Order: sequence, then C-alpha cells, then structure tokens
Amino acid sequence: MPYLGGEETVRELRRALSNPNVQSDQLRYRNTILKVIRAMSQGVDMSGLFSEMVKACATVDVVQKKLVYVFLCSYAALNPELSLLVINTLRKDCQDPNPMVRSLALRNMTNLRLPSLVEYVEQPLAAGLRDRAACVRRVAVLGWAKLHNLQASSEIDAAVVNELYSLLRDPDPVVMVNCLRALEEILKDEGGVAINKPITHHLLNRLKECDIWGQCQVLRVLQRYRPQSEDELFDILSLLDASLVSPHPPIMAATLSLFLSLCSGQPAVSLAALERVRGPLLAACGSGSREMRFTALCHIQLLLRSIPGLMGAHYKRFFCGYAEPAYIKQRKMQVLVELVNDENVAMLLDELKGYCTDVNAETAQAAITAIGRIGRSYSDRCLEILTGLLGLKQDHITSAVVQTMRDLVWVCPQCSDTVCFALEGCEETLQDSQGRQALLWLLGVYGERVSSAPYTLEVFIDGVRSEASLGVKMELLTATMRLFLCRPAETQDMLGRLLHYCIEEETDMCVRDQALLYYRLLHCGIEETRKVLQGRRSDPSLGVLIGRPAEPVSQWARSFNTLEPLRQGSIETESVSRGSPEHTMFDPKPNADLSNTLDCSRIEKVHSECVRCPTIPRCSPQSLQAAMQLVNIQTLAFTPPQTLPWRVYLYTHTCLDDAPHSTLILGELLYTGEEPQKAEVHKGSADGGVGAEGIEDDM
Amino acid sequence: MIGGLFIYNHKGEVLISRVYRDDIGRNAVDAFRVNVIHARQQVRSPVTNIARTSFFHVKRSNIWLAAVTKQNVNAAMVFEFLYKMCDVMTAYFGKISEENIKNNFVLIYELLDEILDFGYPQNSETGALKTFITQQGIKGQVSKTKEQSQITSQVTGQIGWRREGIKYRRNELFLDVLESVNLLMSPQGQVLSAHVSGRVVMKSYLSGMPECKFGMNDKIVIDKQGKGGASDDAGKSGKQSIAIDDCTFHQCVRLSKFDSERSISFIPPDGEYELMRYRTTKDIILPFRVIPLVREVGRTKLEVKVVIKSNFKPSLLAQKIEVRIPTPLNTSGVQVICMKGKAKYKASENAIVWKIKRMAGMKESQISAEIELLPTNDKKKWARPPISMNFEVPFAPSGLKVRYLKVFESKLNYSDHDVIKWVRYIGRSGIYETRC
Repeated sequence: MPYLGGEETVRELRRALSNPNVQSDQLRYRNTILKVIRAMSQGVDMSGLFSEMVKACATVDVVQKKLVYVFLCSYAALNPELSLLVINTLRKDCQDPNPMVRSLALRNMTNLRLPSLVEYVEQPLAAGLRDRAACVRRVAVLGWAKLHNLQASSEIDAAVVNELYSLLRDPDPVVMVNCLRALEEILKDEGGVAINKPITHHLLNRLKECDIWGQCQVLRVLQRYRPQSEDELFDILSLLDASLVSPHPPIMAATLSLFLSLCSGQPAVSLAALERVRGPLLAACGSGSREMRFTALCHIQLLLRSIPGLMGAHYKRFFCGYAEPAYIKQRKMQVLVELVNDENVAMLLDELKGYCTDVNAETAQAAITAIGRIGRSYSDRCLEILTGLLGLKQDHITSAVVQTMRDLVWVCPQCSDTVCFALEGCEETLQDSQGRQALLWLLGVYGERVSSAPYTLEVFIDGVRSEASLGVKMELLTATMRLFLCRPAETQDMLGRLLHYCIEEETDMCVRDQALLYYRLLHCGIEETRKVLQGRRSDPSLGVLIGRPAEPVSQWARSFNTLEPLRQGSIETESVSRGSPEHTMFDPKPNADLSNTLDCSRIEKVHSECVRCPTIPRCSPQSLQAAMQLVNIQTLAFTPPQTLPWRVYLYTHTCLDDAPHSTLILGELLYTGEEPQKAEVHKGSADGGVGAEGIEDDM
Repeated sequence: MIGGLFIYNHKGEVLISRVYRDDIGRNAVDAFRVNVIHARQQVRSPVTNIARTSFFHVKRSNIWLAAVTKQNVNAAMVFEFLYKMCDVMTAYFGKISEENIKNNFVLIYELLDEILDFGYPQNSETGALKTFITQQGIKGQVSKTKEQSQITSQVTGQIGWRREGIKYRRNELFLDVLESVNLLMSPQGQVLSAHVSGRVVMKSYLSGMPECKFGMNDKIVIDKQGKGGASDDAGKSGKQSIAIDDCTFHQCVRLSKFDSERSISFIPPDGEYELMRYRTTKDIILPFRVIPLVREVGRTKLEVKVVIKSNFKPSLLAQKIEVRIPTPLNTSGVQVICMKGKAKYKASENAIVWKIKRMAGMKESQISAEIELLPTNDKKKWARPPISMNFEVPFAPSGLKVRYLKVFESKLNYSDHDVIKWVRYIGRSGIYETRC
C-alpha cells in the first residue's frame, strides 16, 4: 500500500535519531524510536534508518533494546553488513546477569535470519542450552531449529542433536516440548525425532505438566510410535483416557488422532474411542466461539462417515441459530442430512423448511439441497415441501428447487410424476442460468408428460439470440432434440430454427459443434438418434436404499485433526451447482440403471457366473442391507418388496492403502418367484483408484 | 506452527504484522486483505486458502486477527491460540479495538515476541507473562519495578502465577458466579436447545501463599457424600445438585486432585482471575418464558402479542429486561400497548424494543402491537426472525451453588475465619430466542 510522505518522515526521524540532545535524553530517545516502529508497522519503508538504529541498540534500557530489536529483525536481511555490528552488542548481552536480557539477546540473534552470522551465533547458543534459567534454555533450543532452517543443506552437528535429546529430560516442560519441536525440524529428512519406548513413556508421564500447546505437540509426535505389545498399547490408551475427554477441543482432537493411529490394527477399539469423544465434540459444537464450532462440525462429519448413527439422538444440537454465520449453517445442514431417521424426519424437515427462506441466498439453497438429499429416502414428504416452496415465487428459491428436483428424479424416478406436475409455470421466476439449465433438462427428459413443454422451449428458442449463458444454450439444444423424439409434430419447426441459428449465426464453437453433431445425427435416422439421446433412463420400479455405507476408520484417520476436513465441505458446496446429472463425473451416488448400461469394455476381467441358492430367506430389505453391510457388501438398489421378479444390486470393494490393485465386485440378486434364488456376479478388477472410478462412471 | 500473525482494522489496513517463519512472504499480508476482507461476498469459512497458504481468522468487534501458516496444522489449536491471544490482549489493555491496538502496539509486539517463538506457542498465561513484559497496557499505571527485580525467582520457581511476599491488611475474597443462559424455543413452547455457560470469577486479596479449597453442589461430589449417610437430604428439597457437562480450570487448580477426589484446591493468583468455566445442559431454570402470537390481518397489517412470564422465586428481582420483537422491513407504523415498562418501535433496527427495569418472580406481563405494513412488490416472504430477550437475574440458572470456600495459610497467622468472603450470583441472557 503506498503511503505518501514516507520519505519526509524518514528524513525527519533520522535527524532526530542522530541529534545528540535527543540521544542524551532517554525518554525522548525512546519516543523517537517508538515513532520509527509505528511508521514501520504502517508499512513505510524505514530501512534507511538501519545504521542509526544499530547505534541505539547499545543501551541499558530494556524497553529501548526490545524496540530496536523489533526493527533490526525486520530489516536485517536488507543490510547484512551493518547487521554484523549488532552481533557484538548481542553477544555481550548473552553474558548479562539478568536472564530476561540473556533470553532476549539470544532470541533476536537467531531472529536476524542471516546465514553470514551463523558462526557468531553458534557459541552463545551452545552456552544457552546449559543456562540455569529455563527461559534462556527455551530460546536456545528453538534457536538451533532456526539455525538449521537458515542453512538446511549444512551438516547436522551430532553433538547438538545429542544434547537436544538429553534436554528432553529437562525439568521445565516448555524446554522439553521445544526440544521435540527443534528435533522434528532438524531431523526432518530422517523422519523426525526417534520415538522409542523410553522416550514415549517419558513424554507420556510428563504430559500433564505441559500447557495446551505442549500437549498437542507431544500427542502429535507420539503418533509415530508403535507399541510393542498389546498390553503396552492398552496401558498407553488408559493413560490417555483423561485427555480424550478433555474440555479443550485441541487436546481432545489430538488425543483422538493419536488413538486412531495407535489402534489402526484394532477397529473395535477405535470405534469405542469415537463413541467416547461424542460428548466433548458435541460440547465443542456448542462452544461460544464460532470458529471452534465450525472446526468441530467439520470433524463430526468425518466421524459420521464411519459411525452414521453416532449423533442420531442429538440431532437437535445441529439446529441452526438465527444469527449464526452462513458457513456454520451450511455445515450443520450437511450433518442433519446424515442424521435423518424414521423418528426425527418430520421434525428435521420442518426445521430445514424454516431455513429455506433464510435471508442469505446461499444458505437457502443449501437448505433446499439438503431437503433434496433427504428426499432420496423420504421422497413424498420432501416433494411436498419442495413444491410448496415454488409457490413463494422467489427466483433463487425456485432455481434451487428445480435443480434439486432434477437431481432427485435422477436417483428416484418414481418421483417424476410429482416433479412434472410442479414444473408448470415456474419458468417465469427462473433467472439464473443454473436453474434454467435444470428446467431444460427436465423438460427434455420428461417432455411427453409436461403438456406445456414445447411452448416453454419455444420461448427459450425465441430468446436464444440474447442468451448469454453457454450452458443454457447447450442444454437447450439437447432438450429440444429430446422433445423432438417424443413429440415431433409440435417441435419440428422450432428445432429447425434453433439448429439453423446455432450452426449459421452462433459464434461459440462449443454450441456450434454440438448443433452440427445433432444435425448429422438426424441424418443417420431417427433410431440412431434415439439410441444416442435416450440411452440412459433409470428404471422407475427401482428404489434406492439410502444410508451411506459405513467406511472403515482408516479411510479418514490420517486427515483427522488437520486442515483437510475443513476444506472438504467447501469443495462439495461448490460442486452443487453443476450441469445435468449425466455430466457429473465423480458423483458417488448410485445410479439405478446399471443393468442396461454396464459397459464391460472398461473392466479388465469380467466373470459372470450364476450361483443357485437352495433356500430363500424372506426378510425386509432393511435387514438384508444391514446383514450385508456386516460383511462389507453394500446395496445399490432394490425393487419394492411385493414385486416379482424381485432384485437387488450389490457391490463390494477392497481398497487397501498400499496395494496396486483395487477390486470392485458388482452383483445382482434375483428372485423370480417359484424358481430358486439366483445370483449373478460381475467381477471387475482394475489397476489403482483411477480404474475403479472408471467402473463407477459406467454404471 | 504459525508462520505469522497479522492484525487488520475493518478497512483492511495492517495494524500489526509479525512474521515468524521465512516461508511466509510479504505478499501474504495483502493476499488476505484482498481475498477476504475486501471480498464482496460474505465470509465463507474461517479458514481461507490462498496460494497454498492457510489463513485462520477471528474477528473481534471490527478487528481482524489472522494467523497464517503453510503447514497442515491442527485447526482447533490455531483457533484456540487466537482466542488465547485475544484474552491476553484484553487482560492488558481492555477491549480489542483499533484505538487500543494503535495505542498499545509496542506492547503487542512485545507480547507476540514472548508468546510465540519460531511459530510455536510458548508462554500464554497472563500472570506469568507480566514479568517478561516491560510495557504496560495503556489503561492502568501500576509501578512495575518491584516485579521486574523478582524475575529470577519466578522464571525458575514452580508457581508461575503468584509472586511471594504479598501482604494485605484486610484479607478479602470476592467470588462471582457469572452465568449466561442460552435458549432456542419453538413457537409452541418446546425447548429446542438450552445450555448455560458459566464462569466463576474470583478476586483475591490474600497475604502470603494461601491454599484455597472450593466446593460447589456438583452432582458427583454430592452423590459420593450422600452414600455416607445423608442420602435423604437430596430427595427432600428437590434439586440439590447439578450435573456439570464439562469444566475447565485456571492453571492454578491441581487437576490431579480434581480427577481423583473431585475437589478443587489451588493457590490463587493475586487480583482478579477466572477460576473455572463450565457448561451445563440439564435441568436449567429458564428465568423467562416468551409466548408469541403473530397474526397477519390482510396484506398490510400484522398483530403481535407477546407475553413474558417470569419463572423464579417471587422474592427475587430480575433487572434490565429487554424484549426485542422484530418487525418486517416494510413497516410503516406501529402502535404499541404494554402493561409494564416502556416499549418503542425503532425503525433503524427494524424492531420493537420493550424495556422493563425490574420484574419480580412468578409474574406475567404482556405487550400487544399493531404493525401497519406498506404494500410492496417485493414478493420475498418475511423471514420472521426470532424474538430475543436480554435480562439479568440474581441467581444461577444452572442451579449452581457455592457450598464453601476455605482458605488455609500455614505460615502467616490468619485463619479461615479472618478472611472476609463475598459471594454473588449473576445470571445473564446469552442468546435467548423464541421463534415466532
């Protein structure tokens, strides 16, 4: 930021600093230095005063010393030669009887960050490690880390490292923790501090003495430790139990993270630990400070991936307060969606309905999306709310509702009747391109059931010249083509006009190419066109079981208590506004039409075999799903209970961290009535994660 | 590992910038300003990622405090640290405002130097910090020279929060139980969420190195003692003990003793400090009940009736009661009738503010208002913000009671009886909202 009058100020201050009258009066001298620092922190370049300030450094006044050091540390890098002059004063201060002066000198010596000064600094630093005052030792220990950081390529002095290791047993807990920090930095290339049994036990025993920051550091370092026996593991765990339910969220999170890494071989123990932190986590969610609430919510989302029912009874804790910031509200809604069950669904939907009219448009849209997610399992109630919202005639709400309906219909085709009925008339309130794209997609796919579809499209086609959004134009082309296939008489004329405009006048290459493609496609005959444009359609008799499968804890344990969970959600919310469902690439939602379109060419090996089961268990889909999940088989979709033939689509996958292959097995369970049950298994094995995603895309 | 700390005013001007690690460049300061403070839309997250650098920010009134890091750090810890930083600054110079920060910037630099070294938090206790800091906050002027000379004993000593040789003519203790009660109630009177967050603040003016023991009606303790014989006592007068969900203590409290026998014993710091902080969610006494009734009469008129009922002992008096009833944006005029207190429509705040100076327990009062609306083209439905309430009551809504506070000082000749002790309970409203 440019500050005017900077040079003038510098000149004035220089005159004052070199004025002998000022120098002799301590108070005036100090005040002048104060002015320098003030200007510096406002962004004025003060580097020109360096030599004057070096002179001011030689004083007995501690306040003045501190002020000058702040200045010197900021500008030392620009004046390496002059900085050499300061070193002498600093070294002298390192001998001062007052420990505060010693620690101050030592800290600033290392804060100058000049490689050329390293040789002068090493000796006082080494002496500092053996100082009798703890505050000097604290500074000296970290000083070595700073030195190493300055010249990362240089040899590591084994003697220093040994001394640091021995200082882990220092009586002062901060010195101990600083040693850990310093060693972590110095030995970064070797993987950090060596964590062996004696060190671990020593650190654990002294954990209680440390402050919050120290405890977090120790707990983090200990994550690398692998207990040698089960007994030792459980000893450590019971020792840490108190910090697991600590009221300080950082300690609680760090402890849980340590638990998860220690118990990576024992999933049952990690699950028990997750149950145990429920209380403290919920408390953090209600804490007074919003940032901490946000962090806790993000971490709860992680836990829910493994134990979906963990917070079920406490869903009311995630109701939004009126004055909460949008980011917390949106996270809470994401959590609420996960917690929905038969008992609370009415209450939850009622609450979410309230958020749909939030002042903040983004929050309102997030609430509508959340209702849409719940709609996958409770479609009737949700559709009722969604159609009710259309009555408000608010453009941002209507847009979000139409987008949500589009996503819902793709997964639950049985909702299509209600959706088609609701679509009438909402094109008038739609303003933004996302919403109009969704509407166009719905009109294209369900054109034969919406009586006014051709008229709506005609309005769009008449206004295509003034249309700014690329997405809307593309969607319009596809929708008109689809409508032409089912209602040719009404659409032929306008399709011709649209294609003519897009091919002859449109300047955007994407739209033009798409139009040309369709034009040539029409030349190939109506059957070919139908194959391309109407290939994918979900089977309306299939319903989808919701309830995300429980992931193993190891999937996310590594990212717990880092920045990652805080980032994930924000990416998710951005991707909410996207194109039509067919175009989504990495959407994990299970599509119901896999039997028709499973493309085997992308799978390396495909086995297809039928297994005949002698007995037919009569049970509800829910209990079947629960039983399957126990053996890590997930359900994709199933037909309603009373229909014949009754079928379920299943999948299971292995995902090992270090294995180069991951296997995805798809299966179909078929019950045709009198005949014995038959199961077909398609098995695909693919290289790495990318291949596996490829399979999912094809489903 | 915090790479740097920046403090901005609401315009985005840098008030304080301190960089601890080389990986944070000078442009980081501007990056945050441009992308977050000057951004058009609302803040999307308290953590912002710009060019592989993470910015954690906290806002206090209109001051932004941002911690910057390049590493994948523990988010909860960074926020906790920022809160601690705010606490320390408040302890030194009061409210965090632009004015105060500008006046105390040397002190802040000094603090930043002590609290963090190379990006690692070092020493964050206000009491212990005082000996290292030469500046005083610009609010009080107390001579510091004596404390300076004692630094050696304190840096090495075991008790960092109290210096030796304190003498008072009158040994006094003030204990304040301050609670804020939070409520979210549905229009039908169903409690959606309620919790009390409380603090026990102590002012101690005691000579020497006294040992204190503090007791309250914590459920676990009472139950334990109940086994000893007086088990019928709890049943007799209803709610005698309370269940504390979680609590934190000042560093002076011996946690090992609390864990083992649940007794709170400590050597208190001198002067004012916060002994403990706690939270309860069960059996909260809600001091007021708000019963709203909103009726839309046609498109241009709204009738609002709000009844408040006080729900505590008739002998107690609640003070500073304020009920805030939000009105739609297109309000043109309001007529208010209330039985007690004063009510006024404040157009600038879009609310009817109803103030009652005092109200005794088990009373009821009501207000009714007719709101005239301007017809608008704006089809946006009024979001109906909740009715919020402020008050102060002379008891603890959580039900917490101080049972005893004993002082032992073996070296000096004063005993528990000579100490004058004062206990006070104040319950205030936190976010106390009823939807309408």
